[in-house]
Amino acid sequence: MTSIGVTDDLSGDLTEEQRALRDALRALLDRRSDSAAVRAAIDSPHGYDRSLWNVLCEQTGVAALNVPEEYGGAGASWFDACLAFEELGRALTPSPLLGSVLAAEALLAAGDAEACARLLPKIADGSALAGLAWVGAEGRWEPDRAACAATKSAGGWSLAGEAHYVLDGDLADVLLVAARTADGIGLFEVDPAGSNVRRAHTPAMDPTRRLASVRLDGAPGRRLGGPAGGDAAPVLARVRDLACVALAAEQVGAAARALELTVDYTKTRVQFGRPIGSFQALKHRMSDLYVLVDSARSASYAAAGTVAQGGEELAVRAAVAKTYCSEALFRVAAEMIQLHGGIAITWEHDAHLYFKRAHGTAQLFGSPAEHVARLTHLAGIADMHS
Amino acid sequence: MNIVVCVKQVPDTWAERKLRSEDKTLDRESVDGVINELDEYAIEESLRIKEAHDGEVTVLTMGPEKAAESIRKALSMGADKAVHLVDDALHGSDVLQTSYAMAQVLRKIGFDVVILGSESTDARMGALAAMLAERLGVAQLSLANKVEIDGGTIRTQRVADYGFDRVEASLPAVVSVVEKINEPRYPSFKGIMAAKKKPVDKLGVADADIDAAKVGLTGAATEVVDFVAAPPREKGTIVKDEGDGGQKVAEFLASKKFI
Repeated sequence: MTSIGVTDDLSGDLTEEQRALRDALRALLDRRSDSAAVRAAIDSPHGYDRSLWNVLCEQTGVAALNVPEEYGGAGASWFDACLAFEELGRALTPSPLLGSVLAAEALLAAGDAEACARLLPKIADGSALAGLAWVGAEGRWEPDRAACAATKSAGGWSLAGEAHYVLDGDLADVLLVAARTADGIGLFEVDPAGSNVRRAHTPAMDPTRRLASVRLDGAPGRRLGGPAGGDAAPVLARVRDLACVALAAEQVGAAARALELTVDYTKTRVQFGRPIGSFQALKHRMSDLYVLVDSARSASYAAAGTVAQGGEELAVRAAVAKTYCSEALFRVAAEMIQLHGGIAITWEHDAHLYFKRAHGTAQLFGSPAEHVARLTHLAGIADMHS
Repeated sequence: MNIVVCVKQVPDTWAERKLRSEDKTLDRESVDGVINELDEYAIEESLRIKEAHDGEVTVLTMGPEKAAESIRKALSMGADKAVHLVDDALHGSDVLQTSYAMAQVLRKIGFDVVILGSESTDARMGALAAMLAERLGVAQLSLANKVEIDGGTIRTQRVADYGFDRVEASLPAVVSVVEKINEPRYPSFKGIMAAKKKPVDKLGVADADIDAAKVGLTGAATEVVDFVAAPPREKGTIVKDEGDGGQKVAEFLASKKFI
């Protein structure tokens, strides 16, 4: 197999350890998550390959990357975690990583030490999947909105409502729920096996992403955030930023791989007596995509490098990365179909999986249009925009 | 238990491998180096022995500076330390000279068991394990697809065309392993971060009491006299089946003396 170097051009920015992590993940996914394996995982009852997930967690330790060492994690940087998302995105590997990482981040941001000590170790070692129920059917990931509501009585908190687009929500062993309360948004831990909790897998256009709805009818919940009970809006704002950073990394990986597959195909597909990749019209299109993927990776790296710092800088870069990388993957996935021609619209070819990933992932945690609108406020140019 | 695993860095199996025109040795610079695949099974087996019996796993590599990448990977998989035999005098050594040099190092660092892949994907001699055992005066257990250690005794299954032999020897011993003996683990994030803190002992020929006159290209027992690039594959012949396809196939096979 010839490498065209699409994925390696920015590798000068990586440390030796980061390259080793990326190489280890790529070797594992090359072996265990090729096209046939991805399709088998999609058709399996849980929508992901559990034995691969075990290797990812027990050997590589992907679910532990973002968790601090005091809670059984690896205490790695978010940049390292994004290398994992990029590799999983390359292979379109269905995995519960995103849902678990974001739930872990919600726990950390809520700052409930008891819940962190109890829940994070099993999320970090992959033995428990975690999900965060947040938005309603309209899919507006706003920190001051939540689909469910919580009321307090003498017996404690009771939650009701239906949350949608919950990553791995039907499989989660740890269920966190964002809910409206009389004093703002709260974050709650709800027993997913409780009788007042109904969860259902909701097949999405992108079959490589497991989404579920979670319906609560008076489910008891425990409010997270320390003795005083915290305001969860800042928690949700951080989770949204981190979701954008992770998804952007996934999108870069998927776009890079889609382009590689396209370039490889145009080298072997012969028409008019020549490989079609030798025609300048196609070369130019692929060169443009190459530049697009590389600049998308820049946006993704810039955002990943700001996670530790947080604040408004992270919010801006995360929104930029999610917008730019969504649009980059749209374009690469669409061009992948055009440059392959008819074979790309067969079920057996992976182009449709990249295309569906491109469109599904762009909507998750906010569409490019929503993030651009938000950016005008973040960057203080709202007046110019209107 | 002192376990030494011998690891060779080879050109990436998928890359185009070339010989250098100036001295007809393998061009190791122009291609990515990877751990010889069979040695990955050897690393995994050495880590399993360590986990079952305690002890320490030392990676032993002979090769240019670049081979340090492969050492780093073996350490990130879980080996404890490494010895890197690196010296310009070793360049171009054949398998006899390599076995001499490695045996000198093994004498120096000591071992209870030496594990290595049964052959390398570049040279494919498959003779190093036997030569090491002979030079060190210890038992050789070759082509193992199962290894058990019980006190001072080692038992292996040796794969053969007819099934397998059960082989038993006393330690110390040299074991060569075949693929599918295990599933090599992937480096963990923690392992990767720990690897850079693990000791790598770099030895030159003098440090390992290797006689420089006995190694290297000029004294090698084998010599590459000439080489040419493999000719491009010729276009195949397409035969249209007009009811006589079977006969055409038979004629083709007969022309090649297959039937």
